[in-house]
Amino acid sequence: MKKGGLQGYVIRRLLYAILIAWGVATCTFILLRVGPISPADKYLANMSARTADPSQVVAAVEARYGLDKPLYVQYFDWLSNLARGDWGWSFSTSMPVMELIQKHWIYSFQLILLSMLFSAILGILIGIYSAVKPYTKTDYLATFFSFIGISVPNFWLGIMLILVFSVQLGWFKTYYDTGLTLFSLANLKALVLPVITLGTGAMAGYTRYVRSAMLENLRKEFVRTARAKGLPERVVIGKHVFRNAILPIITIIMFDLSGVVFGGAYLTEIIFGIPGLGRISFNAVFASDYPVVITITLIGALIVLLTNLATDIVYTRLDPRIRYD
Amino acid sequence: MDNTILKVKDLKVHFFTRHGVVKAVDGDSFDMRRGESLCLVGESGCGKTTVALSVLRLLDSPPGKIMGGEILYGGDDLLKCPDDRLRQIRGNKIAMIFQDPQSSLNPVFTVGDQIAEQLKLHLKLGHREAMEKSLRLMEQVGIPRAAERINDYPHQFSGGMRQRVMIAAALSCNPEILIADEPTTALDTTVKAQIMDIFRDLKREKNMSILFITHDMGTVAGFADRIVVMYGGRIVETGSALDIFDHPTHPYTRGLLNCLPSVSAIRDRLTPIPGAIPSLINPPKGCVFDPRCECRLPLCATVRPEEVVASGDHTVACHQCAPSVVGEGHKPS
Repeated sequence: MKKGGLQGYVIRRLLYAILIAWGVATCTFILLRVGPISPADKYLANMSARTADPSQVVAAVEARYGLDKPLYVQYFDWLSNLARGDWGWSFSTSMPVMELIQKHWIYSFQLILLSMLFSAILGILIGIYSAVKPYTKTDYLATFFSFIGISVPNFWLGIMLILVFSVQLGWFKTYYDTGLTLFSLANLKALVLPVITLGTGAMAGYTRYVRSAMLENLRKEFVRTARAKGLPERVVIGKHVFRNAILPIITIIMFDLSGVVFGGAYLTEIIFGIPGLGRISFNAVFASDYPVVITITLIGALIVLLTNLATDIVYTRLDPRIRYD
Repeated sequence: MDNTILKVKDLKVHFFTRHGVVKAVDGDSFDMRRGESLCLVGESGCGKTTVALSVLRLLDSPPGKIMGGEILYGGDDLLKCPDDRLRQIRGNKIAMIFQDPQSSLNPVFTVGDQIAEQLKLHLKLGHREAMEKSLRLMEQVGIPRAAERINDYPHQFSGGMRQRVMIAAALSCNPEILIADEPTTALDTTVKAQIMDIFRDLKREKNMSILFITHDMGTVAGFADRIVVMYGGRIVETGSALDIFDHPTHPYTRGLLNCLPSVSAIRDRLTPIPGAIPSLINPPKGCVFDPRCECRLPLCATVRPEEVVASGDHTVACHQCAPSVVGEGHKPS
């Protein structure tokens, strides 16, 4: 492949990404700001006990954050600030949005990373096993549990896990302890239930996808060629079949990273009290703290766009038949 | 001196399908001699590929199952030897080439990797040595600019070149027997001729034993030393190329040869064999060819014909040729 072809493609995709991110930011801004509640009202609600004249406070707050200006002026101010790297001010926590995110992103990151590893590794292993021994008891058992895993909503699973393993058995704490050192053993233990809560649905899905992709490729003629060469079954399955079967799975896993996991991480963080981006975004929505909501939505959109691009680039490495130019 | 390198005895292979049991190979026996090119000929679905795959136990199971028989190679019965032993033979002593080189090559590995794979496995070569040997093999089978192309992927090659890659991979460990399952069927006529040249060279220069499977009598002519004709899962005639082409004895073999266009013989039109191949789920009770045979006898419908010697090496499974029958009906010419 010509190097320039891929570079040009990546640059084009990045330009599209900027355009889409702008669209996402604009839509979120409009949806949040045309609503009936002014951020100042919420601010006021918190302060009301100490003020005599509410309308004065509202006016002061609105003037302080530029909320008294026409909406389009606010929009352009916000965009130009964004372009200069100023993500805005969080009303509810009284700190710059960027600082808030810097403090909390790591909690989401570790949760999502560990659940991805959990679901991908287990899902792929069980899927391969099911495909190699199809229509056996183990396969049927795997099928049964993966359908349960796909069907169970993760918030329900999370609550049940807490009830059984934390409340009844007392193996884990019922909430996430933020005092633990990140990536320490104690911290990993604290993340066991959240990771299972977040990862089970995806893991069950991968089991099914891997099984069918493996079965499909096991029927291909190159498998017969590999066997005719005298290769042991471990190499035939692990190299020749798996390397072909994994291609569609990678797309699904990357897509999940941006979509399902991001969505599920919100609920999981709330159930287990993990102070990640999902939780602060959830709080910000109820506080009408729109700069935080917009920023986290925007970050989510950028992650979706960038993982999709990364998937496409990884694909050119894994599947020599795919070319972008 | 026994010159037999591979002996197939009473091989029975059935396919278990939803519609019933298909008797794809129904008690076939033949020998393959060292250094000869033995051609297995017959229509699609007559069981020739099944025989070839059975030699290395490569049938998909389910639905295929080897029901009985022996395939003797060296001191081993390939149908019963342990998997480890079989893997030492596959690709190393007996190599195989398939019909469609496009789907038989793994699309995500370079051709060099795929040729080198067996060298690393059987000859325990390191990566560099294996790649060097692969390059020489690619040159040997006539792939131009092999050094540049060794890191290309199968989809970057034409059909003929892909089949050359398959042949290079099959030859890599210098096998004693090469099984080629319709290696030219998926190729254009001109490319087919080039690939056949490679096989002729192998036969002439390396004195390799080749089991060549095809439905095309034209490809067989000029290449085969001996020919095995199959019909409906059974071997109907076996003989030297000369026997088969000059004295075809089984009515089916004669029918096959009548389907060939000929330059020398003046013929208005080709003569097709009437009818279609029978279902192998419920094959005819007697001779499988009976329903289509032009010179059938009353006993053909009920009694399965035994193999009889027509002359020397030439055997036929036909009641017309059986000693008890000869003289009763009209003897085939």
